[in-house]
Amino acid sequence: MSEAKTLPSGPQPDVKYPIQVIYCGNCSLPIEYCEYHPEYEKCKQWLERNLPNEFEKFVKLSADVSEEDATEEKKRQKRGGKGIVKARKKEDGPKQVCLSRAPRGKKKSVTVVTGLSTFNIDLKVASKFFGTRFACGSSVTGDDEIVIQGDVKDDLFDIIPEKWPEIDEDSIEDLGDLKR
Amino acid sequence: MFKKFDEKESISGVQQLKSSVQKGIRNKLIEQFPLLETYLDTILPKKDTFRLVKCHDHVEIIVHSSGELLFFRHREGPWMPTLRLLHKYPFFLPWEQVDKGAIRFVLSGANIMCPGLTSPGAIMTPVEKGTIVAVMAEGKQHALAVGTTALSTDDIAKVNKGIGIENVHYLNDGLWQMKAVK
Repeated sequence: MSEAKTLPSGPQPDVKYPIQVIYCGNCSLPIEYCEYHPEYEKCKQWLERNLPNEFEKFVKLSADVSEEDATEEKKRQKRGGKGIVKARKKEDGPKQVCLSRAPRGKKKSVTVVTGLSTFNIDLKVASKFFGTRFACGSSVTGDDEIVIQGDVKDDLFDIIPEKWPEIDEDSIEDLGDLKR
Repeated sequence: MFKKFDEKESISGVQQLKSSVQKGIRNKLIEQFPLLETYLDTILPKKDTFRLVKCHDHVEIIVHSSGELLFFRHREGPWMPTLRLLHKYPFFLPWEQVDKGAIRFVLSGANIMCPGLTSPGAIMTPVEKGTIVAVMAEGKQHALAVGTTALSTDDIAKVNKGIGIENVHYLNDGLWQMKAVK
C-alpha cells in the first residue's frame, strides 16, 4: 500500500453538494463506466446524440488512454475469470398502444388500453390521469392493461400523444370492439 | 445482496413511519455518518415524512416522499446509502480505491479481493473491520459499489489474499435498477 497517496475524506471545500452526476441513458451507469457495459457501442451512440460536449471530451480521453493502455498492459498482471457482465434481456418488442372498446351491460361500454408499459409509463399514474381527465372511473386491471369506464377511445387518440410526447399517434392502434 | 433483487417481486410493502421512529432513524444516521450532519437536512428535510419499503430477505429501504431511494439495510444492520445518493454526497463514507483491472468484476457483483486493494493503482483509507465503505476505481470519479470491509485495512495489506471488502450494492444491480417508489 502506498502511503504517499491518500484519498480525500470529508466534504471538499471547493465542491458544491449535491454533485450532479450524468447518467447514461442507455445503460443507466455514470457515463465513465459505460465502457464496462456490454452494449458500449449503443452507449456511445446515445452520448453522441444527447451530450455532444461530453462525447468530445470522452473521445479525446479514450484516445489518450488507449496509448497508455498499450504500455500498461505489460506491467500489470491480467486477471482471468468471467468478468463480463451479461446484458440484461431487454424486451425489444413492438412498442404499441392498443385501444379497444368492450361492452358493459346493455348500453354502456368501457375502453381498454393496453401496451402503455412498453413505453415505460407508470400505469398507476396513467390511470389516475385518465380518470381525472375524463371524469370517470379508471383502473389498472392487469399487467399492462388499463380499463377506463365509458367510451373515450376517440379522445384518447389525441390525449395520449399530448400527454406523453414519446408516443406517436401512428403507434396507437385501434382494435375496435371486443366481444364479451 | 441485490444481485437477484427485482423490483416487482422483492417488495412486500411500503410503510409510512411514525415520526418518533423517523427521528430515531435520523439520529442513527447522524451517529453512523457524522460527516453527513450538515447535509442531512437537504437529504431528508425535517418536515418531510419518509417511508420504509420492506423487501424480501429482510431488506428495508428508506424512501423520500418523492420516491427516491436513500438508505437501505439488512435485518438490524447498519444503514447504507444507495449508490445514487452516494454519487451526490460521496464524502460521508471512507473511500477505498481499487485498480482498473478489478472494475469489471466488481460491476458483475464480485467481492473485492485484497490484491485489488493493494496493487499500485489502488489506494486504501485506513478503516476497521466491518466498516461501510465506498468502492471507488482508479481513474474514475464516482463510486461503483458500496461494501463492508471483511478485514481491517492493515490486515488487508498484510494478508493480501481473499476477500477484502464484501460487495453489498454495486452499479447496475437490482437495487440500482429499481425505480422510485410512488
